[in-house]
Amino acid sequence: MLEIKDLHVSVDGKKILKGLNLTINAGEVHAIMGPNGAGKSTLSNVIAGRDGYEITSGSVTYKGDDLLAMSPEERAWAGVFLAFQYPVEIPGVNNTYLLKAGVNAKRKHQGLDELDAFDFMSVVKEKAKLVELDPSFLSRSVNEGFSGGEKKRNEIFQMAVLEPSLALLDETDSGLDIDALRIVAGGVNKLRSADRAIVMITHYQRLLDYIEPDFVHVLANGIILKTGDKSLALELEEHGYDWVKETL
Amino acid sequence: MKLIQTVKQDALACFEKIGLPSKRDEDWKYTDASRLAGLLEMSDANKKVDSNGLGMLDLDAYRIVFINGVWDEKQSNLPKGVAIQSLTAINDSKLFQISADAPLLNGFNALNAAKARDGAAICLADNSVLDKPLYILHVSNQNQIIRHGMMLGKHAQANIIEHFISVGEDKALSNASTAIILKAGAHLEHSRIQQEGKAQSHVARVEVKQLRDSSYTFHGVELGASLSRTDLVVSLSEQGASCDLNGLFVLGGRQHVDHHTRIDHIAPHCTSRELYRTILDDRSHAVFNGKVMVHKGAIKTDSKMSNGNVLLSKHAEIDTKPELEIYNDDVKCAHGATVGQLDDQQLFYLRSRGISEAAAQELLTFAFADEVLAAMSNQVVRSYVEKEAFAKLPHGDDLEGLLGE
Ligand SMILES: Nc1ncnc2c1ncn2[C@@H]1O[C@H](COP(=O)(O)OP(=O)(O)O)[C@@H](O)[C@H]1O
Ligand SMILES: [Mg+2]
Repeated sequence: MLEIKDLHVSVDGKKILKGLNLTINAGEVHAIMGPNGAGKSTLSNVIAGRDGYEITSGSVTYKGDDLLAMSPEERAWAGVFLAFQYPVEIPGVNNTYLLKAGVNAKRKHQGLDELDAFDFMSVVKEKAKLVELDPSFLSRSVNEGFSGGEKKRNEIFQMAVLEPSLALLDETDSGLDIDALRIVAGGVNKLRSADRAIVMITHYQRLLDYIEPDFVHVLANGIILKTGDKSLALELEEHGYDWVKETL
Repeated sequence: MKLIQTVKQDALACFEKIGLPSKRDEDWKYTDASRLAGLLEMSDANKKVDSNGLGMLDLDAYRIVFINGVWDEKQSNLPKGVAIQSLTAINDSKLFQISADAPLLNGFNALNAAKARDGAAICLADNSVLDKPLYILHVSNQNQIIRHGMMLGKHAQANIIEHFISVGEDKALSNASTAIILKAGAHLEHSRIQQEGKAQSHVARVEVKQLRDSSYTFHGVELGASLSRTDLVVSLSEQGASCDLNGLFVLGGRQHVDHHTRIDHIAPHCTSRELYRTILDDRSHAVFNGKVMVHKGAIKTDSKMSNGNVLLSKHAEIDTKPELEIYNDDVKCAHGATVGQLDDQQLFYLRSRGISEAAAQELLTFAFADEVLAAMSNQVVRSYVEKEAFAKLPHGDDLEGLLGE
């Protein structure tokens, strides 16, 4: 589904990613861990198409297409979704409206008819239950006045409605208390499927207790320094990232 | 000579003395009043105007229609038991009194008092509540001078909408003035929607005096005219009074709109809120000057002002100046202005959810402006303004779908 080859990315002239390689197939769940400032958000932002990153070399292929040549909205239509580390507040833009516009834009792109308001609302209500999102959030402005945990929950709710093929969850677990973590993780687990890939960026082993990854990667020094199974996360928890660097 | 004639002559003398504002006048630094010097003559003959189909047709409201500044009896529909009359019917000299040293008073205002031909004199008795909005539609195709007076008795309540439309291509000036007194506990929601034609200019003064615990909500919407200037002067004269001033400009072409607002906190425990937003395209130019004066005895004053501006074109210009003068310590004031393009992070967020770049820009622009309109209590008025405002935006045609909640 996603193939990243020798990706070099700079921000403001500073090299962040230095030849990163990563392959992700449908149905897989990957966890990316790594020290602060390693470039994890940089990677997810580059995949989602955010401006301000200088891609100096390498390629990103998604379902056979050159992802880097696509606009952010084209990537969304093609099934890429980013749950933001810091979801932005958008006063005056209604949460439900945003999703309806997003879903219909994608459907239009796929040559499908727009959902009518009634069908759309029943989908939305069902998905809100998945992450136990209070229905009052549906009619509020996007993320405005939401607590940190509510914002993260809202991101996963959006993921549920938009039904992406490739979901990148950037530190979705940060800022969640243990109950909220369980609920959000439960929602993500229900969204696992054979034709969907999920990439979780996280600092904490505890998320991986709930959502079991097929692969765990360590992103450091601008590359994927080490890849293993879920036991790698346990070792990281015990020994820290320096241990990875030393063992190489 | 009758008192009223004396008062009008005094106003004329005042105009002759102070003349039109000049660019040397600090309050007129950015707005060229000399452009209007040729538009002061009032013709005796009233041109015909076809006002059919104009204005907010589906608004359930009492109506007064002014054609070229003259009350049109046939098109008006008034509530029963409320004293609403043409200015010409009541010879009350107080309605024409001006004071040369009132804040922001200028030559246009003096001329208005001296020469106003008509207006609405609205007087709500104590405890009376208008069960429907009062919609005052002004349609013109020549110079006009209008002078309204509104007095709300104790605990009276009303929602009054002034709407200005012009037809025809001739250059002309509307000089409009509204003087308001709110007695104890009265509440007035007052909209002024300026939607005059391209060749038109508009000069207005709104002066509000608030007594104890009264509240005043203003919505100033600027969509039309080539040049429009409003002076909004609110005096919080007794304890517990509060005002909420909202302004929305959506401008394009070479439109020039200037609002100078002045709030005087005279009494203690008064609250003022001010939210002005402008969206400027092409070579349009907006001026916002919001001055709040907290007087010596006005302890426990609570004042917030914010002015946000979005420039859609690099040739558009905003001059904004929130001003605060405080003469005691026991106050809570927060004032600020921002100028910018749309927020990149918000744009990316929307696009990452599948909204196209153009639609995301429109949506954010819409949301930015619509926050000002959220305070409008009448949804028909709000939808009308939303629609008319967004028809002016670059991709406004597609925006219908965005308007619903
Ligand atoms: N927009 C930006 N402007 C400047 N520096 C940035 C920007 N985004 C990221 N960086 C820098 O790039 C590095 C990687 O950041 P990031 O990808 O956010 O790391 P992580 O998510 O792994 O903590 C950091 O040193 C950070 O300061
Ligand atoms: Mg990060």
